[in-house]
Amino acid sequence: MRSHTSKLGLLLVSPAIILLAIFFLTPALLTGVFSFTNMSSSTGISGGAWVITPNLLRELSDDGISPATIEALRDESYSVDEGSLAAARAAGVAAEFADEIASKLSGQRFASDSEFMSALKTLRTRPRRVRDLKLAMEPFTRSVLNIRFETEAAARLAIEQVVPDIDAGELERIVERSYTGWKWTSENYSKLFSSPETLRIVFNTVFYVAMTLAFNVLVGLFLAITTFYLPRRTGGFFSLIWLLPRITPVVLYAIMWKWFTWDDGFVAALAGQLGLPSFNYMKGSVPSAWTIVILVNGFIGASFGMILFSGALRAIPVQQLWASEVDGATRWQQVRHIILPQLRWPILFVTSYQTLSLLTSYQEIWLTTNGGPGNTTAVWALEAFRTALFNYSGSLQYGLGAAMALVLVAVGMVLSIIYLRLFRFDELVSKPKIEF
Amino acid sequence: MTILKKTTVLAVAGALLSGAASAAIAEDYTISVWAGGSGDESDYRVKAIEIAADLYEREAAIRGEEVNITVETQLFSGWDDFKQAVTLAAESGTAPNIIVSGHEDIGPWVQAGILRPVEDYVDFDAWPLNQLYENLIQVSSYDGKIWGIPQDAESRVFFFWREHLEAVGYSKEEIDALPKKVLDGEYTLYSMLDDVKKMQDAGLVEEAKGFMPRISNGPDYWQFYQSFGGEMVDEESGKLVFDKQALTDMYQFFVDAVDKGVVPATYLGGDWDTWHGAVSSGKAGAWHGGTWHYAQWTQKNGLDDFFGKIVYTLIPAGNERGRANAITHPLVYLLSNTGTDDDAALAAELVSIASEPRINALHAVKSSHLAIGREEINVPLYAESRWATEATENLLPHANALPNDADFGVVWTAMYKGLEASWTGVSSVADAVEAAEQSVVSALGDKVIVRDGGM
Amino acid sequence: MTRNFPVWPVLLILLVISLPLVIMYGYLALGTVTTTEPGELLPSGVTLENWRFLFDSSTAAGNIWAATFNTFVFAGSITLIVLTVSATGGYAVSRLNLPFRRFFLASILVMHAFPSVTLIIGVFLVLQFTGLYDTMIGVIAVKASLMLPFGIWIMKGFYDTVPWEIEMAGVQDGASRLTVWWRLLLPQVRPGLVALGLFAFLDGWGEYVLPRILAPTNDFRVLSIVLDLVGNPDRANYDFNLFKTVGVFYTLPVLVIFAFFQHRLMDIFGGGTKG
Repeated sequence: MRSHTSKLGLLLVSPAIILLAIFFLTPALLTGVFSFTNMSSSTGISGGAWVITPNLLRELSDDGISPATIEALRDESYSVDEGSLAAARAAGVAAEFADEIASKLSGQRFASDSEFMSALKTLRTRPRRVRDLKLAMEPFTRSVLNIRFETEAAARLAIEQVVPDIDAGELERIVERSYTGWKWTSENYSKLFSSPETLRIVFNTVFYVAMTLAFNVLVGLFLAITTFYLPRRTGGFFSLIWLLPRITPVVLYAIMWKWFTWDDGFVAALAGQLGLPSFNYMKGSVPSAWTIVILVNGFIGASFGMILFSGALRAIPVQQLWASEVDGATRWQQVRHIILPQLRWPILFVTSYQTLSLLTSYQEIWLTTNGGPGNTTAVWALEAFRTALFNYSGSLQYGLGAAMALVLVAVGMVLSIIYLRLFRFDELVSKPKIEF
Repeated sequence: MTILKKTTVLAVAGALLSGAASAAIAEDYTISVWAGGSGDESDYRVKAIEIAADLYEREAAIRGEEVNITVETQLFSGWDDFKQAVTLAAESGTAPNIIVSGHEDIGPWVQAGILRPVEDYVDFDAWPLNQLYENLIQVSSYDGKIWGIPQDAESRVFFFWREHLEAVGYSKEEIDALPKKVLDGEYTLYSMLDDVKKMQDAGLVEEAKGFMPRISNGPDYWQFYQSFGGEMVDEESGKLVFDKQALTDMYQFFVDAVDKGVVPATYLGGDWDTWHGAVSSGKAGAWHGGTWHYAQWTQKNGLDDFFGKIVYTLIPAGNERGRANAITHPLVYLLSNTGTDDDAALAAELVSIASEPRINALHAVKSSHLAIGREEINVPLYAESRWATEATENLLPHANALPNDADFGVVWTAMYKGLEASWTGVSSVADAVEAAEQSVVSALGDKVIVRDGGM
Repeated sequence: MTRNFPVWPVLLILLVISLPLVIMYGYLALGTVTTTEPGELLPSGVTLENWRFLFDSSTAAGNIWAATFNTFVFAGSITLIVLTVSATGGYAVSRLNLPFRRFFLASILVMHAFPSVTLIIGVFLVLQFTGLYDTMIGVIAVKASLMLPFGIWIMKGFYDTVPWEIEMAGVQDGASRLTVWWRLLLPQVRPGLVALGLFAFLDGWGEYVLPRILAPTNDFRVLSIVLDLVGNPDRANYDFNLFKTVGVFYTLPVLVIFAFFQHRLMDIFGGGTKG
């Protein structure tokens, strides 16, 4: 049958494609782009400006820009002459005020902002607001210091006006260095590869994923099999209990764990009464912190396995189990020889699916140990989040954070492609059944 | 001269200067103000602006102008989400007109073009700004311009529980003389470790609870760097300094404290609530915190006789290279580039009014912060607060501030990561210093001076 | 089935591993109607004081009903978007011939497992370009979009199981493909729609990170943010039992939904794949 594109299909799928393109694909591409920049909260995201600051001049003079140029650029002087007065009038400085400046200060030169300001403050017709005074001062100076030029050309022009005979090479270097925005760089990746911290975080992440995964699968399996055999009501009760973490809002769930494990919390109080070491189990020691992190996430994930496995168990023909019982098989033999082989695919699926979601999960860790004590339970996704968006000193390194996110994306992609092969993707996406 | 393009400035100037006469119509303004790291006891950070707006409206009415100002306020309890919100909002042009943040944000935010220099809008030679402490104005300046108006001052303090000191052999007089001994460098951080160890051995405080430092990242840890002779900025060149020797000694100090058993290796990252409860009830021998914690302990944790139970000092010196010190971390009112130039001018005016001693004292006393200006001591409310006046006299003169530098955050993050790594024993002190140096140098290159100290 | 195994040991193990959950949830419920001294395990008295926030907006929880309404609108809008777009998109990829269909399916499968939250800077920029930063509409759009790969995949799975004879019969009667979809197919996949809808609602109801980062100052406050505020121990009037009570209040609708639709949800909590 010759297949041709369905117009209706395009129409129906287009809302999905549009939303995914805007809120999924674009951010993903942007993240890729950002990861090759030094973007941070001090460079801004949307681009910078060209500013010549005293600090920059000091750096430039260390870098061998000629003293004359530096001196000229540093000049903040104000001069009252025909030209600047005309400029002031043109800029809209009130005529009365301009006249008084002309009559009292004409021909004078002021070395700095504050000198000129105090001179102006002696004038009778000066504007009342400081802001207006400052604006009136503007036309009297040619200083480029601390002005934000929105375009490179404007910055170039201004510098050339102040230093007319500037060397072309010097001009280039000054303009380049005065840019405040982000620049292209591949340093994020080299930094990630060379930092010893990276290895530790990778190790943490692998450990966290492996342990939580083991917990999820084993407990999920145990729950599914036991609730399968238990009387319906008892089984139902336990599956309900284990589903609670999954449906409890994360903020509440996290604080419940905090309450359970902190200094005066349940575990500490109980341990105290039993004569065991009583301390903040969530943050008081590295092994206990890891245990809590794994349990917090494990209790959420176990229900996932439980449900899938229960579904698969119910699909096993009951006759098989009856038959084995007639043959005198014990429960354990039944589990071992009939149930587990049937659960092979669900187990593989849960394992691979959970690996991916655990790799990228950080909310629960963030809200409980927050990587503590002393950053020992930090995982990759949490580090990426904190680098890019959430840290105490407020220096958000978007570029580095994006690079870290992208590493995660790459790992996730590779894993998903492997899984797609494993789960015979071709069958999942087989051709539509009917087409007219 | 300003944030705006020169052409825009001229246009605005024209509008301003020529249209000044026709101001009889009612003017409506909305000024938004956000404050970070602020809870219920520090709500005057934003309320002061509301009071200022009220005053401004009244003054305008007397001048015959009708000005209506709506002040929109928001308090953020944490710093991380506040700074994130401000940066992202500024990026989308919706930052609040007035930002109350730590002065160390000035550097990066100026570079990012988020701020307007407040000196372009208000007169620092006129009341009430002319009575502000000079060093606080310094702290609000960056690259030759004044960007912010100090909102409060504080100091970070070392505390000892008197009763426990007495129990390990100090007389009352010796305890009262402790601040002087610390100042002179006779009593060091290591003497402190010995004393709290004795307290633990005597069963006065629990094992590993003798010394309770700050539980999380904060400017406080730079004090220990200074205690071991570290400098954050090179005075001559103005560049950031990374002092390897001081950092090594500082990391080593916390490792030694762990080895001595007076603080757990897994200490960092604890709960504030627990910490406040412990230190305000004598469960620790020595700890360090901020002057403003006084409010927390006396109002919330039920500490009644503060001066009778606690003696406070500067952060002791660590070794002969270092000195006793304290860091002040003033918050500042900053003007964002949101809104028109007129909005900014009004916002600046409001901040200026809010800095009047009487209004600022409301915040200072309610939240146990220190005065921002010389005249504040003449406000009865402030003068009657023993803690405020004592701390102002005894601590503030010895306090310095973090550098205002766009790149300081990088050094800070590296310093704290190394501290975490060595404290928990994840890496050795030498490796932690090495890693910190590597990340600082790779990020900043020759913008930072690496000092090898005595090595 | 015969009981040829001892129930008690198994039950005991089950009970032990479930104990943390039983204790946590038990105490959560208990804390809402009792007072407990710090450091004590057993409550010291019974009180309904903690529930005062329901009609007194002066507590740390503020006006709880406004926040509840907001959360309903928030979760409801997400559900609506996810359902409509997944129902149409899922049908298209299941039954209709599309260019790059394989590629599209593979991508949504990959996106399904994507570290979506790590893209948040990119998401922020998109919102900024579209002027949706710090608006709830923006957060809703983002949250719904992040759920789409999952939704489409699930719906595709449900459409796949519908016998094609049904559709064939409709088309042979002369109805358009669209009518067939609307009249014949949708009723067939209703269980899927219900399950996906419930799932989307629950997910939206519990969402915390996105509103916090993408709409930090918005007046349209959802319950997760309110709960976070109430639970912040730095507050001067911090009250843990109030936190627990607000938390229970916040979770109640979820529990109700769950109690009524448990079996439908079971189908989908598993990730929706017929692995």
